[in-house]
Amino acid sequence: MDAGLLEQMLIGALLALSVYLPLRCGQLSLATPGFFAIGGTVAALLSTRIPIFAGTGATSPLPALLLEMTLAGLLAGLLALAIGGTVLRLRGIYLAIATIALVEILRVITLNLSFTGGALGIFGIPQPFTTTAGYAGFTLVLLALVCWLCARLEQLRLGRAMAAIRDDELAAACVGIDTAQVKLQAFVLSALLAGLTGALAAHFLNSWNAKVGSFDASITTLAFVVFGGSRTWLGPVIGGLVLSALPELLRPVGDLRLIVFGLVILLGPVLFPQGLITPQGLQGLGHRLLGYGQQLRGYGHKLLVRVNGPRRP
Amino acid sequence: MSAAPLLEAVPLLQVEGLSCRFGGLLALNNVSLAVRQGEIFGLIGPNGAGKTTLFNVISALTPPSSGRVLWRGALIPASRPDQLSRLGLARTFQNLRLFDSLSVRDNVLVGLHRFAASPLAAGLLGSAGERRRQRQLEQRALELLALVALEDEADLPAASLPYGERRRLELARALATEPQLLLLDEPAAGMNPAEKNDLCGLIRTIRDRFDLTVMIIEHHVPLMMRLCDRLAVLNFGERIALGSPAAVRQDPRVIEAYLGSAR
Ligand SMILES: Nc1ncnc2c1ncn2[C@@H]1O[C@H](COP(=O)(O)OP(=O)(O)OP(=O)(O)O)[C@@H](O)[C@H]1O
Ligand SMILES: [Mg+2]
Repeated sequence: MDAGLLEQMLIGALLALSVYLPLRCGQLSLATPGFFAIGGTVAALLSTRIPIFAGTGATSPLPALLLEMTLAGLLAGLLALAIGGTVLRLRGIYLAIATIALVEILRVITLNLSFTGGALGIFGIPQPFTTTAGYAGFTLVLLALVCWLCARLEQLRLGRAMAAIRDDELAAACVGIDTAQVKLQAFVLSALLAGLTGALAAHFLNSWNAKVGSFDASITTLAFVVFGGSRTWLGPVIGGLVLSALPELLRPVGDLRLIVFGLVILLGPVLFPQGLITPQGLQGLGHRLLGYGQQLRGYGHKLLVRVNGPRRP
Repeated sequence: MSAAPLLEAVPLLQVEGLSCRFGGLLALNNVSLAVRQGEIFGLIGPNGAGKTTLFNVISALTPPSSGRVLWRGALIPASRPDQLSRLGLARTFQNLRLFDSLSVRDNVLVGLHRFAASPLAAGLLGSAGERRRQRQLEQRALELLALVALEDEADLPAASLPYGERRRLELARALATEPQLLLLDEPAAGMNPAEKNDLCGLIRTIRDRFDLTVMIIEHHVPLMMRLCDRLAVLNFGERIALGSPAAVRQDPRVIEAYLGSAR
């Protein structure tokens, strides 16, 4: 597979997880592309303006990338912390609208600031990896790590509290969960993940501009999660991987691909209302595999009997 | 010369002059009552009398129009349901509010939220101490499930349980928060007489074992007469009677408003 496409898919999966975190506690936040854009801008500025981040020659140092990702994540997380208390008081569709507005505000600000390069953006962002495969390898490790953390989170107090709030916010409050705080934590974690992913993406794309954080991106990243499912971390990962690849894979059919892409996004929720991946589905799959295993053992046993003859008591 | 009068113990919960208005409807009309430490306090009354509304006001889900609620003789220093839970108040709901997508065990683990606190990083990395704590919590959850005879259902989704078991799960979840006062809103609804009897026994057991005070709403009057230490009767938002089951049973206003119509 083309490493560039793989990298896009991996970044899609990371962004899908960023949308998933608030959605796990029932909060429909579409702010992910905004935090993604902030993260990328931070990385683009640092690595083009500040010599130690830029490195020498064609490649920038890897520790610089890690530091940029940390700073980008922290800045996005801090912004989420600052606005979350207010924004998260809104519910359902009102939260969605407010977070879309946030993404737009950030886009317009980036567009009009001189040091972010205006409409053209920032060019010539130095490369920490010499090959696309290098990016894909690094991002694969990052995605594996984030998946592991999300899987752990689901087993922990915070992850359980998030699911409880999604199921019944009032009942969750009545068993002592500070629902506002849990929602804020999920929002901040989501921003942090989007921010650090943005820093990585800025290097990969080589240039960065305001278009990255747009309304389109909000809808696309939401589609990842709607398509894959928001009940467990694996859903958004699969959704992000598949839907990020789809436009590229459909390139041979020309402009028709946009229609096919639209149809997939439309039909996904109709055919799989819970998303492609659900805990029950995974459990069913596990049972089925176990069943196949037992069947195989049965065949093996029959074969042995045929070879050795029936065992005498 | 008489002995110095014994100080009357401060009630666990006092409701003073509570009114609650929904538009033109006065759901609670100047209701006062006090619940003593350790008693099983019953709340009866016809449909729409305001019983659930009283629970909602006590648990900070509905703001009262006037009046106040005292906890151990002092104004409650909390205004949110989660703060009240930490203070020692737990409740169940008339229309069952479980976390349906979670397993039976996880429903109780959510109830143990307050006791599961640990730094997020330690939890994510799964340190040895953290794993031990996690096992203790799961152990505790299983004990609570055993108490309501649901330990074999621990891994099932809560949504898959039959009605009576869902009621018992909600009770286990409420107990997990280690309350001092437990509000039960029609916990026996939909149960057959044998199950109702078992539930009575269970409520007494948990009261004794966890040192609880219980406030219970239930329509089945004979059951309430047997179970409760004291009863209050609401009718059209007004408290029309308060006292021992024997006293309430003979109160003419109660007979007219409630028992009369039931006979
Ligand atoms: N949130 C609300 N908004 C408007 N009216 C309400 C609200 N909650 C309760 N009411 C009304 O207040 C009155 C008392 O309701 P409540 O649920 O407290 O009765 P109840 O005694 O619990 O009855 P039941 O035995 O049927 O459960 C009813 O007439 C009900 O319709
Ligand atoms: Mg009621």
